[in-house]
Amino acid sequence: MYVYYPPYNKMRSADVLDCHVLVIGSGGAGVRAAIEASGYGETILVSKTLTGKGGCTTMAEGGYNAVLREQDSCEIHFEDTMKGGAYLNDPELVRILVDEAPMRIRDLLQWGAVFDVTDCCEVAQRPFGGQRFPRTCYAGDRTGHEMMATLVERLAGAGVEVMNEVTALDLLKDGDRVVGAVGLDEKSELLAIRADSTVLATGGGTRIYDISTNSSSGTGDGFAIGYRAGAELIDMEMVQFHPTGAVYPYDARGRLITEAVRGEGGILKNSLGERFMSRYDPERMELSTRDVVSRAIATEILEGRCTAHGGVFLDVTHLPGQQIEEKLPVMLEQFLKFGVDIREEPMEVAPTAHHMMGGLRITPKCETTVIGLFACGEVAGGVHGANRLGGNALADTQVFGKRAGESAGKAKKKRGRIDKRALDAQETRLSAFFDGEVPPSTVARSLRTAMWEGAGIFRTARELEKTLGVITHLSSLPVKAAGRSNLAECCILQNMLTTASLVVKGALIRKESRGAHVRKDVTQTWDPQTSPYGHSYQSLTRTGIETVVKA
Amino acid sequence: MKKMNVRVQRFDPGQDEKPHFQTYLVEVNEGARVLHVLHAVHDEIDPTLSYRWCCGSGQCGSCAVRVNGEPVLACMEEARDAMTIEPLKLPVKKDLVVDLEPALDALSHIEPTGSAAMPTREEVELIKPLRSCIGCLACVSVCPAMDVTSFAGPTAMRQDFRLALDPRDTKDRVTEAVSKGLFTCTSCQACWKVCPKDIQIPGKAIEKLRSLANKKGLTLPRHQEVAKMVRETGRSVSRTEPTFMEQVGEVIEPHGPVKATVGFFVGCMYNQRLPQTALDAIEVLRRNGIRVIIPKEQVCCGSPLIRTGQLDFLDTLKRRNIDAFAFRNIDTVLTMCAGCGSTLKHDYRTPFRVMDINELLTRYGIEPPARLPLKATYHDPCHLLRGQGIRDLPRELITQVVNLVEMPSVCCGSGGGVRSGVPEEAAALAEKRREEIEKTGADIVISSCPFCEFHIMEHTDRPVKNVTTLLLEGYREKDRKKAENTV
Ligand SMILES: Cc1cc2nc3c(=O)[nH]c(=O)nc-3n(C[C@H](O)[C@H](O)[C@H](O)COP(=O)(O)OP(=O)(O)OC[C@H]3O[C@@H](n4cnc5c(N)ncnc54)[C@H](O)[C@@H]3O)c2cc1C
Ligand code: SF4
Ligand code: SF4
Ligand code: FES
Repeated sequence: MYVYYPPYNKMRSADVLDCHVLVIGSGGAGVRAAIEASGYGETILVSKTLTGKGGCTTMAEGGYNAVLREQDSCEIHFEDTMKGGAYLNDPELVRILVDEAPMRIRDLLQWGAVFDVTDCCEVAQRPFGGQRFPRTCYAGDRTGHEMMATLVERLAGAGVEVMNEVTALDLLKDGDRVVGAVGLDEKSELLAIRADSTVLATGGGTRIYDISTNSSSGTGDGFAIGYRAGAELIDMEMVQFHPTGAVYPYDARGRLITEAVRGEGGILKNSLGERFMSRYDPERMELSTRDVVSRAIATEILEGRCTAHGGVFLDVTHLPGQQIEEKLPVMLEQFLKFGVDIREEPMEVAPTAHHMMGGLRITPKCETTVIGLFACGEVAGGVHGANRLGGNALADTQVFGKRAGESAGKAKKKRGRIDKRALDAQETRLSAFFDGEVPPSTVARSLRTAMWEGAGIFRTARELEKTLGVITHLSSLPVKAAGRSNLAECCILQNMLTTASLVVKGALIRKESRGAHVRKDVTQTWDPQTSPYGHSYQSLTRTGIETVVKA
Repeated sequence: MKKMNVRVQRFDPGQDEKPHFQTYLVEVNEGARVLHVLHAVHDEIDPTLSYRWCCGSGQCGSCAVRVNGEPVLACMEEARDAMTIEPLKLPVKKDLVVDLEPALDALSHIEPTGSAAMPTREEVELIKPLRSCIGCLACVSVCPAMDVTSFAGPTAMRQDFRLALDPRDTKDRVTEAVSKGLFTCTSCQACWKVCPKDIQIPGKAIEKLRSLANKKGLTLPRHQEVAKMVRETGRSVSRTEPTFMEQVGEVIEPHGPVKATVGFFVGCMYNQRLPQTALDAIEVLRRNGIRVIIPKEQVCCGSPLIRTGQLDFLDTLKRRNIDAFAFRNIDTVLTMCAGCGSTLKHDYRTPFRVMDINELLTRYGIEPPARLPLKATYHDPCHLLRGQGIRDLPRELITQVVNLVEMPSVCCGSGGGVRSGVPEEAAALAEKRREEIEKTGADIVISSCPFCEFHIMEHTDRPVKNVTTLLLEGYREKDRKKAENTV
């Protein structure tokens, strides 16, 4: 019998590196963790993109919430965050977030961050949705980029070994303990890293939706990798749809229009010219929480009061040109490139999948439910509850990035061994892709459409079940790698499928509407504060929803 | 949906000996960007195509490629039919993926004082524009200096100046920048023109660092000599023969009716070193109805001082020059030196309008010259092409006389004080020009800047001529033919 061996079939045996702390992901959380961990021992930072360029932190525009003024207080920030999160947040984690956000922004300032300042040399703050005090610190509308630039500079001085364009495939385990990870390096060679502790900081995953704000790396790898390693994930159904994504050009749909546009005074109008937010939240209007504004816009669109491109208008033409140029330079530049001068004409916007509130369950020390594995940033759950406030995620990356790095660094040294069989299993998994049939991009496209249609802003059990069926079908398809450089893509697709199924299953488990999660087929008698439900949870061994006994 | 044909450079170092082009027919939506075309190729035709992207919105700097030769961000540049997509001119890893790490790793990082006290609002406003760099390295990929000498490059200079401005940094970034090649930048402006964030590195970082270096006594000795000469003589170069201004009167009337009157800012090089070229230009102006006034008290425009960061004497020069023309109520000042023109347009606030000679001649139209049976190539002066945005006008003039063969527009090495300060670099860049000139097979080289003309002349065996000299030769040929016919 003739047997065809594709040229790439034979993998060279994997290199094994060794370190104290392995950090996976070079966004705000990962880099902060690596900087902190490097104080405790040899630290390796891997990410599937170039450090400083990858992930969503670089793209964050609006700002970073921190209590810095006498008139503000951590207590109010705490309450705003809990209320915004529909009281699903872990109060202990929220307490840490609001208490430590000011210290962590101080770290950034010490390391050279250039935030906007007031005339008195204080960090300037702007109002953001759902907050009773303007506490969002910013660097124009490139806040995340400013943070990353600062962090990457600091990282360069920290002696961390940075390995760019390495895609983590799976965690390695010795018994119950995570002892590192296996990945594909930039040449698509298998690479194993043994570590005393491993930090997952792979960010979010809303690229499982057709319309998404996320960068190319937001494919939910960390959720899937953590799940496969036995970690428990909570509240995966909690996906934030940002109210204002671009609708044109079509191929760039979903691109974020920062909340800072509304923070600076932008107003929303439907095609009839009505300032429709007065019907949905007359008090907070455009600066209501994201879940509320998204549903308002989605409703206007569904009911036909939408623009030619299928959105609503977001208008800043009444603001002084100078304010737009100084406070929203990136927005101005992006729209100019796309032929719209936002000083002269309104933008067209529609909701877009933005943020994963759910994720790996963590303790205040960022420990996951698996020994040796820590998580921080968007891949971790519990901080933002059922809906995240704008500006809290950047703070989250710094507060919990530092904590994760510290906990991982303090963990005992030299505890685990890599099981060679796990590497062989990876090789077998990869080789199979050369015999596949369906290109990963085709499967991804079907998945995204199905998720947008069946697990979007408004949900029903029927639609969710149907979507789960589609995911199961897509997961059964033999995915094809056309060459070695496609291997990572194939693995990432599988992660997307896993993440999507976690989202849909979570959405089925949670039989209530809460925050970003709306079940149109459920009528409920409670409001978020009196809800009988706590976190939904999913792991290899158990799935369910916590019930709370209210006093 | 619309269809497009695109050509993409492919190269897999594991398999291919050298890069090759592949053409693809793709379908994309209205308004699609270059990135979406690459997605379409990858998703629909060939999944092995490698390219980098991340944010998809101009914020991360992962996706820079060349489209029809020009560096752009793939995610922001609108896709066009029949475009050619190539990697940046940096070491290629695979297809459109280039190695960004060495240049990014070479950027200085802050060594903090440990204080979280913020800089003042003024300092922040100065730093912010330098901070918007997304590390796409388009600038590095076009910097001519980096090709021939040891220079950390434009964005490294940007970063050094950003740190020099920051009170929280403890290092001496100015001395560091000097050791990284601060004085090797030719002021060619190429980096600024390709920067997707419009960061004006030469003017807003390099010249500023050079002036800080000046305060520390780090200005190159040769540049100090030039400054001394300007201070003592009002000119940046010595004379080698009777100057242009010694050979002409203050007002030069045209041969025919007056179409326009302009003041002529001659500039040091044409006045002191290449007076014949200026005389040629005057002849062309006279023939085309331009009345020329030449205030004799004009001095060096100050460009050699600005580019090298020696600013002490600058205000005196500016005042003398502005006064010279303003006193005569001149509303249009003509420059024929690209460097002077760019300086008067950007570094001065003049009560008069400044026009380059190519602008003037094409604005008022010229008498058609005779054609000469020559093949010419044109060297774009940096301070004309990028400094003043003038590309097509000289070509319109040249092609009335000769056939033009294009070559890539790259700096010849004579600017930014490099010719005097780092002569071996200037020579290496001119040598590269010589090679390009040879490739075109041209008989003559035309340019429109005395620095370029003078410098390239030393490095090629072909005659190097100013646009106006070429026009004049066209007129002489026309006159000769006319004389022949009447005989
Ligand atoms: C457009 C946009 C604007 C935003 N604006 C704001 C804002 O103004 N304020 C705010 O508070 N929040 C904002 N957010 C949310 C916030 O930016 C993110 O939640 C936060 O930055 C996530 O940080 P992170 O470090 O967890 O992950 P990311 O920054 O997303 O980084 C993830 C990293 O993990 C790497 N990675 C992923 N998978 C793998 C793998 N398999 N192997 C190796 N590496 C991997 C990636 O390469 C990347 O380096 C915004 C989000 C978006 C998308
Ligand atoms: S002006 Fe020219 S030589 Fe100077 S840094 Fe920019 S590209 Fe390089
Ligand atoms: S200075 Fe401009 S061109 Fe250079 S790397 Fe930065 S953004 Fe890119
Ligand atoms: S993909 Fe980030 S700048 Fe183009």
